[in-house]
Amino acid sequence: MKIRTLEYFVREAVVSLKRNSLMSFASVSTVALSLLILGIFLVMVLNLNNMASTLESQVQISVYLQDNLNDLEIRETGTRISKLSGVSQVLYINKDEAMSRFKKRLGDQQGLLTALGDTNPLPNAFEVKVDKPERVKQVAEAIGQIKGVENAKFGQEVVEHLFNLTKMMRIFGLVLIIFLAMAALFIISNTIRLTVFARRKEIGIMKYVGATDWFIRWPFLIEGMMLGIGGALIAVLLLGQVYGALIQQVYQSLAFLPLIPQYPFITNISILLMVVGASIGALGSTISLRKFMRV
Amino acid sequence: MIHMTNVSKVYDNGSVALSDINVDIEKGEFVFVVGPSGAGKSTFTKLIFREELPTSGQLVVNGRNVGAMTSSEVPYFRRSLGIVFQDYRLLPNKTVYENVAFAMQVIEAPRREMQKRVNHVLDLVGLRNKTRCFPSELSGGEQQRIAIARAIVNSPLVVIADEPTGNLDPDTSWEIMKIFERINKGGTTIVMATHDKTVVDNMRKRVIAVEKSRIVRDQVKGVYGYED
Repeated sequence: MKIRTLEYFVREAVVSLKRNSLMSFASVSTVALSLLILGIFLVMVLNLNNMASTLESQVQISVYLQDNLNDLEIRETGTRISKLSGVSQVLYINKDEAMSRFKKRLGDQQGLLTALGDTNPLPNAFEVKVDKPERVKQVAEAIGQIKGVENAKFGQEVVEHLFNLTKMMRIFGLVLIIFLAMAALFIISNTIRLTVFARRKEIGIMKYVGATDWFIRWPFLIEGMMLGIGGALIAVLLLGQVYGALIQQVYQSLAFLPLIPQYPFITNISILLMVVGASIGALGSTISLRKFMRV
Repeated sequence: MIHMTNVSKVYDNGSVALSDINVDIEKGEFVFVVGPSGAGKSTFTKLIFREELPTSGQLVVNGRNVGAMTSSEVPYFRRSLGIVFQDYRLLPNKTVYENVAFAMQVIEAPRREMQKRVNHVLDLVGLRNKTRCFPSELSGGEQQRIAIARAIVNSPLVVIADEPTGNLDPDTSWEIMKIFERINKGGTTIVMATHDKTVVDNMRKRVIAVEKSRIVRDQVKGVYGYED
């Protein structure tokens, strides 16, 4: 394609954007809204995923021992655990220590424990740390097989809840995004249809003097992509601002929440949104041109 | 140049526009296609520039079998033709120059060649002094001259005109015919559907008369042959 031809395509696209400025505005707004929501969902899902895996990496395995073991057996069990591959640290906590920790955590409400009298229902336990977070589950299962171990737990439920939440959000988000993308497609293809209609005479003449279909198509494709990219740009700017502000807030008040840092995270999402915007625009044009090209 | 062998055209609604047409038009000929309204004149021209496809028979234009052409070949085929309509079909928001240049622009002709050619054809139709005007500022005859300039700017082998003088008064029509004759003298084949008796009778060119979808007369140096 010659540069002069490209210039011509872009000029034609800009002219018709201006000519249908109201519809162009509607298209850009719809795309912006759709992509903004897509962006928000992406940011949320990715952050929840990140939280889940951070938590997973921090968890230790609590190994509760059967109550009838003697000191020797306890020590032997400890040795067996520390010999397992992936185990980096084994800490013994006897039932008395566990009770005093429990009391400390209850604080003002220690009175609850008076009902127990002198009996201590808490088991002896090991706290086990692993070298690689993704091995937690595997190591916990291996420990569960060792003789004398009642059960071995890690923060499984919390992590699994988080993963379930992200899964649900992903499905909900996907449905919403598909719906919004359809709306954006519909509006863009309508905008382009107006342009095509306004220029049907021109298209007819182009066909008679021997313009190829692609030569006729390009200005409309570019117009559609401009609408899509314009919308994406607005979405990206808003998303970047909002996420930046959010990160500021979280760092000040909820510093323990492991949010993904703004860069390059938002940059990557922005690139994705731009690509999606351009594709929606191009697709919208193609839809409305398909019928028209059979002249 | 244009060879029709047993060509028929039946539209989707069942109406027969042309049946069993056999015509040979050679390079450099000037041919009028005449006949009553609805006889098939327009279909005859539309088949040549592949606006319509023949239902049966073989149609060869500029050495290409029109019926067997793929749709991606059509644009390149049409570059060998120039088409002129009764209603001019100029772009109202482009100047005279731009309207003519447009035909070269869409086939991505080099800019320098474009300027030369556009000025040349505007000279030929006598409107070099109106390059900056918009179509709405011109008379019907002038607009048709611009349309002719656009049709010939890419040096087509054949010019097809469908009722080019249909909207014009006799004097202006005659001017337009002089331009077509000049183009024809340069070696370009011209096929013109018309019901302009005066024009046909004065030009004395080959006349093909179509009636009820069939050719009823093919006459060298012919006359219109119908009462107005």
